[in-house]
Amino acid sequence: MVDSHGRQPLLAANALSKSFGGIRAVDNASLEVLPGSITGLIGPNGAGKTTLFNLLCRFVQPDSGQIIFDGVSIQHLQPHDIAQQGMVRTFQVARVLSKLSVMENMLLAAQHQAGERFWNVWLRSSTVRQQEREQREQASAILESVGLAHMAQDYAGALSGGQRKLLEIARALMVRPKLVLLDEPAAGVNPTLINQICDHILRWNQEGLTFLIIEHNMDVVMSLCDRVWVLAEGRNLASGTPTEIQQNAQVLEAYLGQ
Amino acid sequence: MEGYIVSLIIFTATFALFGLGLNLQWGYTGLINFGHVAFMAVGAYTTTLLSLSGVPLILATVLGAGLAAALGLLIGLSTLRLREDYLAIVTIGVSEMLRLVAVNEEWLTRGTFGIQRFPLPLATLNPRLPVRVGMVMVLTLVVGLGFWQVWVWLQQRLKGVPRQAITTSSLAMLGYLGSLGLLLYGVGVGASQLKISDLPDWALGLGLLITVIGIGWVYLWLGDRVLSQLPGATAGLAVASGAFCLVFGVWIYRFAASALYHYSRNPSKTGLMFLSVLLVAIVFWALQRLVRSPWGRVLKAIREDEEVAKALGKPVFWYKLQSLMLGGFIAGLAGALYAWQLTTVYPDNFRPQITFNAWTIVVLGGAGNNVGTLLGAALFLTYENLTRFVLQDIIPLSDSQLGAFRIMVIGLLLMVLMVWRPQGILGKKEELTLGR
Repeated sequence: MVDSHGRQPLLAANALSKSFGGIRAVDNASLEVLPGSITGLIGPNGAGKTTLFNLLCRFVQPDSGQIIFDGVSIQHLQPHDIAQQGMVRTFQVARVLSKLSVMENMLLAAQHQAGERFWNVWLRSSTVRQQEREQREQASAILESVGLAHMAQDYAGALSGGQRKLLEIARALMVRPKLVLLDEPAAGVNPTLINQICDHILRWNQEGLTFLIIEHNMDVVMSLCDRVWVLAEGRNLASGTPTEIQQNAQVLEAYLGQ
Repeated sequence: MEGYIVSLIIFTATFALFGLGLNLQWGYTGLINFGHVAFMAVGAYTTTLLSLSGVPLILATVLGAGLAAALGLLIGLSTLRLREDYLAIVTIGVSEMLRLVAVNEEWLTRGTFGIQRFPLPLATLNPRLPVRVGMVMVLTLVVGLGFWQVWVWLQQRLKGVPRQAITTSSLAMLGYLGSLGLLLYGVGVGASQLKISDLPDWALGLGLLITVIGIGWVYLWLGDRVLSQLPGATAGLAVASGAFCLVFGVWIYRFAASALYHYSRNPSKTGLMFLSVLLVAIVFWALQRLVRSPWGRVLKAIREDEEVAKALGKPVFWYKLQSLMLGGFIAGLAGALYAWQLTTVYPDNFRPQITFNAWTIVVLGGAGNNVGTLLGAALFLTYENLTRFVLQDIIPLSDSQLGAFRIMVIGLLLMVLMVWRPQGILGKKEELTLGR
């Protein structure tokens, strides 16, 4: 699995299948995300996009198929190992921890925190304090860049829907991931904020972060993505550049429901 | 009186500790544990049985708490993958199972005969004057730190409220609460006089009911319509409660300090009081530090949304297990204190009722708030003791009826609390109005 430039894909899913009862939600689907790319995943409602995300992040166990992330097979890892490996997801409906402050939401996401082992709170208290300080700075910088810095001490539950989306993406960055999986980052967000979110994604991408995005808003997909994968009824329908996909008769048919 | 206050302090400390364990599990991690008393039972039985067979007390206590934590491990490994309401069912089942085992396995637990004459901590101590003064100083330090906590809390409440408003509203609140207290006291005295006269029971009962409901209604109306309209009403309430805490605290402290000074008057209880206060202070401090650490942050995240915690790389199951075990460990320590205070351990001491006392304490103070749990324990035990000895002189009910009545009143008070202040006394109101 090497592309025309000889690059290894960062994430490669091969022939994944998952059935819920009699429904084959994901049926022999494959996907590749090249490092440094913004890859889109589109398809009509019920095509199995979110299930595919759940499979990739190990929230759901696939019936068959392989997933390779960063050269390592991640089939047998637990969901929490995935983030530690450098792949982090957001949710379709933004899930912030409402009774924690915005800052606490951010700090939670940092990996390898010594203070997350309770004995270290006593045994290595200076390391814990030091890390906490560094992470606070990093979180402040990210919040600043998405324009949430003024709300850092507020409850995350007090944020508006759009701000929650921003916080969720910002929180994902605190993981210091290699790959971010965004599940409909533009859903339920006003047009101005959609533009902002797109700008942020492009900027972070230029800084070297890879994205895989599920999105229904075609303007967003077309303007952001280098490569688009189309899923319909759990199966791969097509993949290519946004322009190729736009002209693909099968894709149009799937969307318009011929 | 002194002896009575000392045992009240021990019970309060025991239940504060017990509640702190539950607060870690439920208030911070969201684990619904309806079998908390099981940890206490394991702690109590292990400590007393081991110490009876000659194991040093400290070691026996640590082993008891450790075994309680191991029970947490056992319950956790088998059930933490279940959804939270199933955990509630399993835990309540485990606690009853353990009690029945204690009733039946007489070779180990001596069944319903109970375990007696086990060693008590510090009971044979006869400290010299400097040591006793040192103990009083340690007690003073703990009480002082407690007052300091109240002071810090008060400062937060008063931030940004004009001085003038604070003065008026505090005076109004003090008058309100003081007059309510005096009025209820008067009703109590009056009723106890009537009870020894030949007034028929039904008339006294009805009269009392009408009077109390009437007073309650008038005061609720006053509070709702008049007092809450005052500028800085909440600040005034805070000052009034702070003042009450101070007076009550100093009053209690006097007895405790005098008991320590005259250690030899009742060595076993005095030593136990000292130990239990110290233990609560240490556990409270440790827990406060833990829940404010990154570790505590993960627990709170799990309480809010496990999936998010998982997606952000936190091994949720492992953290739940830690919370359950640590809460169990603390409850095990409380079990040792409980056994020492009771001086006899029967299986019946560990009925499910005890678990729900802990729930009352945590809900009363405000879930996810350790200070609230301490306050809840103090309020609950004060209520328990006041009503146990006062109500029988006032209300025309038999002893068993009174027992049920007191629990009914707790239920009623909790319902009023849920309507008036669903977040608990020290809980944060904002947290209730937040959407998911």
